[in-house]
Amino acid sequence: MTTALEFAATGWLTTFQDLGRQDAERLGVPTGGAADQHSAAVANILVGNRRDAPLIESLGGEVAFVPDRDILMAVTGAPAEVTVGHAHVDAWTPVVVPGGHEVRIRDTRIGTRVYIAVNGELRSERFLGSAAPDARMGFAQSIARGSTHLVDSEFVGFRHEYFDQSLFRLPVPVLRFEDAPWTIDIVEGPELESIPEMRQLLEYATYTVTDRSNHVGLRLNGPVAHPPGDEEIVSHGVPIGALEVPHSDELIVLGRYRTLTAGYPIVGFAARSALAVLGQAGPGRELRFRWIDRFEAVRQLALREGELRTLSAAVGEAFDALGFACPLVNN
Amino acid sequence: MSVSESLSVIVEPFGDSAVMVTIPADDPRRRRESIVDFRDRLLGRRPYGVTDVVSGLESLLVEFDPLETSPGHIEYAAQLLAQLPFEGTFGPRRGAHHFEIPVVFDEEVGPDLAGVATELGTDVATVVEGVCSSSFTISLLAAAMAPMMDGLELARPVRRRDEPRTDVAPGSIMLAGTNAIIQPFRGPTGWRVVGRTPHTIVDITRSEPVSFATGDTVRFVPITAAEATALDGSFLLPIGAER
Repeated sequence: MTTALEFAATGWLTTFQDLGRQDAERLGVPTGGAADQHSAAVANILVGNRRDAPLIESLGGEVAFVPDRDILMAVTGAPAEVTVGHAHVDAWTPVVVPGGHEVRIRDTRIGTRVYIAVNGELRSERFLGSAAPDARMGFAQSIARGSTHLVDSEFVGFRHEYFDQSLFRLPVPVLRFEDAPWTIDIVEGPELESIPEMRQLLEYATYTVTDRSNHVGLRLNGPVAHPPGDEEIVSHGVPIGALEVPHSDELIVLGRYRTLTAGYPIVGFAARSALAVLGQAGPGRELRFRWIDRFEAVRQLALREGELRTLSAAVGEAFDALGFACPLVNN
Repeated sequence: MSVSESLSVIVEPFGDSAVMVTIPADDPRRRRESIVDFRDRLLGRRPYGVTDVVSGLESLLVEFDPLETSPGHIEYAAQLLAQLPFEGTFGPRRGAHHFEIPVVFDEEVGPDLAGVATELGTDVATVVEGVCSSSFTISLLAAAMAPMMDGLELARPVRRRDEPRTDVAPGSIMLAGTNAIIQPFRGPTGWRVVGRTPHTIVDITRSEPVSFATGDTVRFVPITAAEATALDGSFLLPIGAER
């Protein structure tokens, strides 16, 4: 069955999104995808979709849409006020939205991005197999106010005599934000040896995200040191999360839409398990760094992965018991 | 690619989910050729857990899923692949294609032509002749799938611009060092802009957005602005391909 979602408001920027392009960087196209991969994956799992299914990402402002049939929806990411037909509903849980009722998401706070997943296949354009936008290549994927988008779903609605909403008690790994500043785990980078002062600076100083930050990278204000010589580094591939010291007095943390090669000194790398929180950092956000070794970085990542798998299993059991048909595959 | 001897490679951790591979050699030209060779070997066999690679001029960033493999395993596989006797290409990679790319060289679409000529102590016609007699090989796909080529034969390597240009048109032919690159989309660059091809280099609506791959060879052919208008926008195809 096909459900139409009619968008009455789309905030500052609302786009199709997913976990990014597979195997595209060898072709010069950054993987891209949701800056906060954890929230995007959880949103899809909560509605019984594959983790990498297309969903909707909103960068703040007010988003409102009306489905013309019942849908199963989940909202994750930064804390926000979510209503269905003017009634408050929880984020980070599956929500049944009756057809004709308006979903409204506003007052995004603390973080910058909200993810909206809907059970089924959200129809969208693909580029190199992915629905994620790539502005540099002219693949905008933005959802315009007044536009209608379609979802193919087997979901037929759900009414319970006694319960209404909040009938799920799932082990959801909600992204937690510390009180300022946020702490980001980092591992050593190749040029740390030639700028040894950066070890102490990164350990003790506080850095602030500037408004020149975007999906290409976060530009941070804070103390930096430069290498002694003026040695040119031959441009090489750079991973997501690399902490670069450019010629100016700032620190750059590369995002998922980074330019794939660069020649700036790299003093550290954000641990992969820290990237979701970094993906939520907006201008003014204060960050602290904590050195960890690669073993600890992988251990943290394995913990996050374990949480996602536990959630997938629990959602699968719950939906089975309720008789929901859902494409829970490869979760 | 010709038969090549076994390589020696250096593999260093680069964060928790990537390693950097480089080839120790004194001659930069050898480092650059060898890393292209190694990239073919790695992508041809794809060690378990490797998710993607990013080519640098003299290095290869190998990205992996740290829950599936580790830097130690990647290094082991990389050393084995580097030592393997290797003839031509294996795996799904196709043979090299050849491109003859028509380019308008004039002041309007090549605003750095005169500057490059001055820098090399020669005139514009000699620069254009040098570019068009060079035989290029695509060494990697750079940002937005831009074909980055090696093989520019001018009197000296070309310097980058001191002040990058902020808005260069798609199809611009740009030079730096002994490299040439074609700008696929409008955007900024620090490279020297010397001409423009009327062809579309990258078309994201096609299932294969580009027609070229690393190892393909390229020559630039000068055309007039009027001839360019006739070709305007058509998708770039290699010699021998059917439109």
